[in-house]
Amino acid sequence: MFKTFGIRWKEMNSFTYKRAANEAEAIREVADNRSAKFLAGGTNLIDLMKMNVQQPSELVDINRLALKKIESIPTGLRIGALATNSEVANNKLVQEGFPVLSEALLAGASPQLRNMATVGGNLLQRTRCYYFMDTAFPCNKRVPGSGCPAIPGFNRIHAILGASEHCIATHPSDMCVALAALDAVIRVEGPKGARSIAITDFHRLPGDTPEIDTNLQPDELIVSVDLPSSAFAKRSGYLKIRDRAQYAFALVSVAAALDIKNGRIEAARIALGGVAHKPWRSTEAEKVLTGAQSNAQTFKAAAEAALRGAVPQNHNAFKVELAKRAIVRILNDVSGRRVGGAA
Amino acid sequence: MQTIGRPVPRKEGRDKVTGQARYVDDLIFPEMLYGATVRSAVARGRIKKISFEGNIPWDEFTIVTAKDIPGENCVALILLDQPYLADEFINHPEEPILLLAHPDKHLLEEARRNVQLEIEPLPAIFTLEDSLNRKEIIWGEDNLFKSYKVEKGNVDEVWQSADFIIEGEYETGAQEQLYIENNGVIAIASPEDGVTVWGSMQCPYYVHKALLKLFGLPEDKIRVVQVETGGGFGGKEEYPSMIAGHAALLSWKSGRPVKIVYDRAEDMASTTKRHPSWTKHRTAVSRDGKLLGMEIDFVIDGGAYATLSAVVLSRGTIHAAGPYSCPNVRIKSRAVATNAPPHGEERFAESNKTSRQKKGMGFASFMHGAGFTGSGEKYLESVVGAEATADGRVRILAASTEIGQGTNTIFAQIAAEALRLDYDSIEVAKPDTGAVPNSGPTVASRTCMIVGKLVESAVLGLKQTLSGSGLLKENYTQEDFRQACRSYIEQHGALKSYSKYKAPPGINWDDEKYEGDAYGAYAWAVYVAEVTIDTVTYEARVDDFVAVQEVGKVIHPILAAGQIEGGVAQAIGYTLFENVVWKDGRMINNQMTNYIIPTAADIPPIRVFFEENPYAYGPAGAKGIGELPMDGAAPAILNAIENATGASINHIPLMPESLIEALGGESG
Repeated sequence: MFKTFGIRWKEMNSFTYKRAANEAEAIREVADNRSAKFLAGGTNLIDLMKMNVQQPSELVDINRLALKKIESIPTGLRIGALATNSEVANNKLVQEGFPVLSEALLAGASPQLRNMATVGGNLLQRTRCYYFMDTAFPCNKRVPGSGCPAIPGFNRIHAILGASEHCIATHPSDMCVALAALDAVIRVEGPKGARSIAITDFHRLPGDTPEIDTNLQPDELIVSVDLPSSAFAKRSGYLKIRDRAQYAFALVSVAAALDIKNGRIEAARIALGGVAHKPWRSTEAEKVLTGAQSNAQTFKAAAEAALRGAVPQNHNAFKVELAKRAIVRILNDVSGRRVGGAA
Repeated sequence: MQTIGRPVPRKEGRDKVTGQARYVDDLIFPEMLYGATVRSAVARGRIKKISFEGNIPWDEFTIVTAKDIPGENCVALILLDQPYLADEFINHPEEPILLLAHPDKHLLEEARRNVQLEIEPLPAIFTLEDSLNRKEIIWGEDNLFKSYKVEKGNVDEVWQSADFIIEGEYETGAQEQLYIENNGVIAIASPEDGVTVWGSMQCPYYVHKALLKLFGLPEDKIRVVQVETGGGFGGKEEYPSMIAGHAALLSWKSGRPVKIVYDRAEDMASTTKRHPSWTKHRTAVSRDGKLLGMEIDFVIDGGAYATLSAVVLSRGTIHAAGPYSCPNVRIKSRAVATNAPPHGEERFAESNKTSRQKKGMGFASFMHGAGFTGSGEKYLESVVGAEATADGRVRILAASTEIGQGTNTIFAQIAAEALRLDYDSIEVAKPDTGAVPNSGPTVASRTCMIVGKLVESAVLGLKQTLSGSGLLKENYTQEDFRQACRSYIEQHGALKSYSKYKAPPGINWDDEKYEGDAYGAYAWAVYVAEVTIDTVTYEARVDDFVAVQEVGKVIHPILAAGQIEGGVAQAIGYTLFENVVWKDGRMINNQMTNYIIPTAADIPPIRVFFEENPYAYGPAGAKGIGELPMDGAAPAILNAIENATGASINHIPLMPESLIEALGGESG
């Protein structure tokens, strides 16, 4: 009665899975297979595989590598690439020396995700642009040259700084915004040896190659993040503005760090999240702050400087004003905090 | 044992908690195909050509177009304007054009993307203003689905003598219901055996009525069965008729069972949402605080087809003046057409609102009519049955659906109380049009008050039959009842009783003049919201919420409080979070990552209080409750924001960018 069909069940894309015993083996595996990926917490990569956004042919599980340590080093703090977001956020050395990092991590995701997600994976998070995430749409980041539907589309959550005509996606991480304000250095190892990358050079602007998120080579493994100690790192904080209290990416976020002596700002760091393809360090705002009196007028001037070059899209002009106000708010907050007995 | 007013366990609770409950997507039939819908990509146009491209084995697919429809190509509801499949003209960007079925759902998805539609675009309209100004005529002669006018006293004469006149325009946005389970059905259909549909739905007899017309079959050849349903909120009132018809058409042609389950993106984009609205209020007030007159103009956007807009408009018209006594009133209301997917019922809401961290408190008093509006219940003629078995168990026969809100549980409580039997001895039959009478749709806050009353009188009919036959004395035990049932069934056969709706005494409605008693009873409420507004970052947060209501006798305190808490949470989403973004008539943020609904962290403690004032014509004194909590939260929150900031906000959802505009002058 019924026709028989040759059913082509395609329930899951197949891939091979290997657990690496040591760093050298992990790097070799990925260097040998151009479509292999390191697997750490899996909180982003596995989702993207399920949604057919990424289809690696091999996963090299690095979770057993000894890269979990958080330890003091002569210049500051070294955080292993496999330390989880929860471990870093709740670490005493981080909370005391680099509070902005702890605050940023706790503003992101949910407790369950933070227990799985790692520092290395967080650095490599992909954008949550809905057009990138949905394979029904073209996307220059997913399929180079196919077009950017976000530009004529709904772009309330998209970039206002550093975007290009090929891509207006934003970087989703909270942690990376804090790292940008802390002069973090990313230590990586690859087939050609080890190197260090400054956080500001780690992520890229989209330009005409939006498919490339970072300057990390595909076969390079992140081993740690080093944070130099400083007076401004101690007086630092994070403010995230989002559409709901939990489980939402930033509309706008700000990491701010100040070194204040006798009411004068000796050094400052400002980085913005939710506004650009990379964590947006604002040297313009920092210039205004450095050497100025720590007061509301200075903070407003810094906020103006930070957003001077902003170019909003159709649905996100509000982000420009929101970012300015967020900068003022967190600078007010951070400047008033008690830090190690001195203010 | 008394069961009314006690938190007895839910009838289907154990099955849900242990994973035994079966939803549509859990059901697999032998030889089953999966169905998919090919939709328009333009808002309005004329179909020129359909071609089947790509490397797809098209001969393996069942393909259904409008030409394959055995009966009439329209979804039978109030008007017969909406086709199941567009034949030539397209009126909204999610309009179904053809259907595909195949055993492999992944290949099906690929095939759907390879159907090429050549459509000649026609000018479309997307706003209330363009529709009212008739920029294009897209529906009927004037884009007007329905209008009402209510007049009382002489409102034109009050403006001169008024001490104060308060005027405002208010806008509300669309809202997606976001039930946990998406729309889904399975159908088996053939000319010999007729059509049977299993699905997630609120109103099995609406689907039944729609399929009668679609297939041109007699009533007994169509059977609609509700399976366990994961929420509705009004979103599964009319749309299941569409998806059920689609699956049945594919089954009719292929000769095999066909399942269609929408994914979240398709469900959000294509199915009905709450109607966007615009309202203008002008109110005259005397110095001593009396309302002298109210003039209200109220317009809702119905989307491309009439669906249930007339019913929603009618309820809005009657509730527009709020719970106040006012001698002179004029209410004008209109439902108009735009080239967006049709908007449908959603748990009703009517928003008629009267340092850096600013706190404020706001207040709303309101009412909500229970049951169908006006003569609706009279025309529905709902029927409920009750059947007793030889072992003394009682089974309720009704088409009212359990969609998470507790229908099964309260029906059993009402029956147990009326018969003075154990709650556990009452069963509630699955809604199946082949087995239960039509107790009407599960909407309009009518299930407890209207259908519950029919449950009460149907089971009392059983008792009367037993007493009338001399088998049951005045005072009886559970065991006496069991023996009486057994004796009766042995002597006379089946023991059944049916009860049909009759309006309570003194309740009259004039359809022509549009006046009288629009509802048998109203639920009344006062809601208070406390908010914090950050005037630097524009974050608005509801800190505390108190909901006090009078809904007659409370049947089940936990379920009733749950209705209020859920409704208030949904209304907080409606007010501050949920923003449907439209582009050319299409929802473009139809993903849960960018259509933001509140999480538990965004919802304040909701403190629920009931004042119990039993209603003489409700079951055990109960009235309706379901839609009530949606009505008051938005005005209470906006009033609290005004109290905190001085800014009067007249549109929702209120996103941070709107607060920037409203509070732009003040900064940190």
